[in-house]
Amino acid sequence: MPGSHLISTLSQDAAKDLDAFPWLTTAILLPITASLLIFFIPDPGDGKVVRWYALGVTLTTFLITVAAYLRGYDPDIAGLQLYQRVSWLPQVGLGWSVGADGLSMPLILLTSFITTLACLAAWPVTFKPKFFFFLLLAMDGGQIAVFAVQDMLLFFLAWELELLPVYLLLAIWGGKKRQYAATKFILYTAGSSLFILLVALAMAFAGGGTPSFEYSELAAKHLGTGFQLLCYGGLLIAFGVKLPIVPLHTWLPDAHGEATAPVHMLLAGILLKMGGYALFRFNASMFPEAHVQFAPLLVILGVVNIIYAALTSFAQRNLKRKIAYSSISHMGFVLIGIGSFSPLAASGAMLQMVSHGLIGASLFFLVGATYDRIHTLQLDEMGGVGQKMRKMFALWTICCLASLALPGMSGFVSELMVFVGFATDDAYSLPFRIVIDGAAAIGVILTPIYLLSMLREIFFGKENPELANTNMVDAEPREIYIISCLLVPIIGIGLYPRLVTDTYRATIEQLVARDESTMKAISSPPFPFQVAPKLT
Amino acid sequence: MPSAAEVAWLIPVLPLAGAVLVGLGLISFNRTVNRLRKPVAVLLLSSVGASGVLSFAVLAEQLRGAAPYEALFNWASAGDFNLEMGFRVDPLGAVMLALVTTIAVLVMVYSHGYMAHDKSYVRFFTYLALFSSSMLALIISPNLLEIYVFWELVGMCSYLLVGFWYDREGAAHAAQKAFVVNRVGDFGLLLGILGLFWATGSFDFEGIATGLSAAMADGRVSGWAATALCLLVFMGPMAKSAQFPLHVWLPDAMEGPTPISALIHAATMVAAGVFLVARLEPLYSLFPDVQTVIAVVGTITCFLGATIALTQMDLKKGLAYSTVSQLGYMMLAMGCGAPIAGMFHLVTHAFFKAMLFLGSGSVIHAMEEVVGHEPALAQDMRLMGGLRRTMPITAITFLIGCVAISGIPPLAGFWSKDEILGQAFNSYPLLWAVGLLTAGMTAFYMFRLYFLTFEGPFRGGDLQLRQELLLASGKPVGAAAAGHHSATHESAWPMTLPLVLLAVPSILIGLLGTPWHSRFAALLDPKEAAEMAAKFNWPEFLPLAGASVAISATGITIAVFAYALHKIDLATVVAARFPRINAFLANKWYLDAINEKLFVRGSRKLAKQVLEVDAKVVDGVVNLTGLLTLGSGEGLKYFETGRAQFYALIVFGGVIGLVVIFGSLG
Repeated sequence: MPGSHLISTLSQDAAKDLDAFPWLTTAILLPITASLLIFFIPDPGDGKVVRWYALGVTLTTFLITVAAYLRGYDPDIAGLQLYQRVSWLPQVGLGWSVGADGLSMPLILLTSFITTLACLAAWPVTFKPKFFFFLLLAMDGGQIAVFAVQDMLLFFLAWELELLPVYLLLAIWGGKKRQYAATKFILYTAGSSLFILLVALAMAFAGGGTPSFEYSELAAKHLGTGFQLLCYGGLLIAFGVKLPIVPLHTWLPDAHGEATAPVHMLLAGILLKMGGYALFRFNASMFPEAHVQFAPLLVILGVVNIIYAALTSFAQRNLKRKIAYSSISHMGFVLIGIGSFSPLAASGAMLQMVSHGLIGASLFFLVGATYDRIHTLQLDEMGGVGQKMRKMFALWTICCLASLALPGMSGFVSELMVFVGFATDDAYSLPFRIVIDGAAAIGVILTPIYLLSMLREIFFGKENPELANTNMVDAEPREIYIISCLLVPIIGIGLYPRLVTDTYRATIEQLVARDESTMKAISSPPFPFQVAPKLT
Repeated sequence: MPSAAEVAWLIPVLPLAGAVLVGLGLISFNRTVNRLRKPVAVLLLSSVGASGVLSFAVLAEQLRGAAPYEALFNWASAGDFNLEMGFRVDPLGAVMLALVTTIAVLVMVYSHGYMAHDKSYVRFFTYLALFSSSMLALIISPNLLEIYVFWELVGMCSYLLVGFWYDREGAAHAAQKAFVVNRVGDFGLLLGILGLFWATGSFDFEGIATGLSAAMADGRVSGWAATALCLLVFMGPMAKSAQFPLHVWLPDAMEGPTPISALIHAATMVAAGVFLVARLEPLYSLFPDVQTVIAVVGTITCFLGATIALTQMDLKKGLAYSTVSQLGYMMLAMGCGAPIAGMFHLVTHAFFKAMLFLGSGSVIHAMEEVVGHEPALAQDMRLMGGLRRTMPITAITFLIGCVAISGIPPLAGFWSKDEILGQAFNSYPLLWAVGLLTAGMTAFYMFRLYFLTFEGPFRGGDLQLRQELLLASGKPVGAAAAGHHSATHESAWPMTLPLVLLAVPSILIGLLGTPWHSRFAALLDPKEAAEMAAKFNWPEFLPLAGASVAISATGITIAVFAYALHKIDLATVVAARFPRINAFLANKWYLDAINEKLFVRGSRKLAKQVLEVDAKVVDGVVNLTGLLTLGSGEGLKYFETGRAQFYALIVFGGVIGLVVIFGSLG
């Protein structure tokens, strides 16, 4: 019984960690508390004090998450660790419950890391700096909470908590069409997250007994296949908007097109990963029977993401939107990995989330830095920028190469793991695997086409006369430092991927093994697909 | 003390360390590091040089008969999947290591002279070291996946170096084209590797071959699937080694600095495809059909490259098509199941072609002082002529290269090319005939290059001709009067020394591979070498060798009559009589035009249409603009009049409705 096994490990872990320092709770509450205190900080109004404060808080939070990983986390254990639960209203199953397993831990670290860098990227913000950094810090806590909480109601609250800051960050500091973009973002994501609430309530009360929103108890419930399918579908919409899955993606180019660099880094670096994380955490873990039915659909949607978004990115003439579409394309690999029944491909999907978090953040940071200098996002108004900004050119080139999955960098490893894992995934019939891997590999050709064309149009050739009046100073040390911080893990993972994969290996293997055994136990061919999983 | 093979991992690591150090310096202390030209050059040269010393130590060990050495570590694992990386040293790898480091060192010395006046001198050396590192790592890769890793990395270095002069539009396009065309090949290579792993559970060369034959024997993998996988893998070498129809990137890549053309696009990287096919010999020897395809592709490439080279007026482009053609020979050898012959030609070709390219660089360098830094002028042979008088060393070494590539004994090219033709004669007589014809064309176009460049009167001072050439290439005519000298002069010692040093192996190295006592074959495969020596007999060798020498001599004779003695005017005799053929060749078989029309514009159009669908249909349905407003302009107004929330609610309802429909259908 996988469920009861989960509970027993859980209680042992809980007992073990009871006296331990509440690392995760601190990591969530520290930035949120600190964000409220920001209004009491004496600041002349140009943000020069506040930004140091915010950097200090985000850095402390990062160090706390690192300490949590080093002191309280054992990567060889598949179950929950760093677990802490405080009951609040036991009658209706409400309480504070946090913990981390292999799915959460890498993303918690990623969140606190990227937010720290985003804070550094927000250095030039002078318009309403207090409010800006308040939102940034609130987001930090909210996003760590999304990955750390072990209670579906809390998850819903954290999910919502993080929406509001993004909405305001877009609506106040965004570009020309910021109102439209912000409204579209909030309606899309807030609306779709209603499904999370509905499913959470439905699951908590399903089967009678004392309602509980605790993940472990939800996962242990025996739910009918029909009920599972309904919940799965609802959550797929909620998380599909976030990831995003084509055709639910249209909020993303608008939001990205209007956001400023630090917000960009958070959107691409962390927000999109919430979708992938939640698909793993809920869809693949809690509804194994529905997952078997839906998995081929996820895989197909993944391929659609890769090719469709690569093509739109190629045709896009706006730099920010171009990279926004490239993010969508890269998230396709996450979908394929989640939809597979191979530990290698699922592992690759996790790695792709971490990897894209780093690469996407670096590219979007560079877009912002370049925009600050040449004041245009239209590729037609660029050209020959490399003449004056040679270091910037070098940084761009490295990050683009990382994004097009050059070996030696993280993106290559994660995509390769998905490719190899899916190719050897016996759950699917051979023709299906050939078609999927072949189609996904078309992305291997399309990605360099749009990324290198972009580089060529920005940096190569003679300088565009329209740029004559711009102040093209080369990259400053702060900017080089931010990119270097992102490149160290990108290249580190590329050289030795086990640095990251070992942190979640046990969890992913357990999850995939459970889904696989469920799949083998199902007798009827799942879902109306010709290419249904072959029974072995 | 550890043996050289045990520390062979240092061979790629040393240049990498140098490149990383200088690269970081360039990013952090740009101005200072850019001024440190000599220290940087010495550092990087000595790091590649140290790799060279180690490589020769490894080669010496292998010559003494040391066993192949392999060291692996667990790189990635998930579930029961374990992927090992590491390095292996064997005779084939040792030969390549020695070859690549030798040429890399010489090219670096040469670059010190060639790039002396370039403001990005330091960056150039960094890229060179980075490339050397990737290429050396590719050679010692123990499995297909690791080869793929470094395969991509050498492609990246090629991208960076072709686009080195990034203010030139031509360089920007060429760099991108090189990368993308190579990615098309890598697409096949990746899928092939995945498929082979699925079929055999292995990435390493022998494991794949034995695994695949076992899988076919017990019926797990059908014959056609195995053949398809082998062909997919072959797509990688096709792109990297510029085989038809994926050769289109190589001539364009000549936009890069000439030392790069010598090192990457003639001697080493483009040979990686041939090297990979040689590595996969155990696999390909199982599939005669695949070998036939390889041989045919090689022959087409060989013929195509030579025919296009006949009409080129750009010195470097002429050499580039010659490289395409020679790579075709190597691939033909692989298709004949004679990897040793192919590898031998790879080695000899690397020496004389590197020398020819460096010689052309020396010429271009000299021409630039007369006609200015415009490639359309400095590389055009119509403006050259008579350079032997001012540049004797360059001219003599270039002539040696021409003789060597033409296949005149006892120079290097004769032995290796003859070996390939001999193998082709036994396996595919028809392909042999094409190869023989190509040998004649090779001799002709090489001597044509030589005579136009180095003999006759110097035509560089002709201002009117310069203007015409600029007009023809669509460049501003104002550049015609650039340049500040009226005569050329020999290049400095850093440039001539490598030429002289390369001339030695170009003359002599062929003698290591004589068919009756091939030391080269004895190193790579002693059993095969013994068989070859035993089978060798003069009555069989002489007619074939005689035929190829005769046809080369014919080619040279025609070139002498046409371009040295001016007894035949080919323009009237041939070009005017067959205008279609002439146009066909001058337009490079129209392959570039087809490529541009079909793939470049096609993909652009498709992308545009998808984006339109995305903006109008997907986002349009989401916005439900049509239902709420008359036009899209109306829709925006709602935001300004405060009805945004209501509007947005409707939008959201629309999305959900859409999703539900999709969900229930999908």
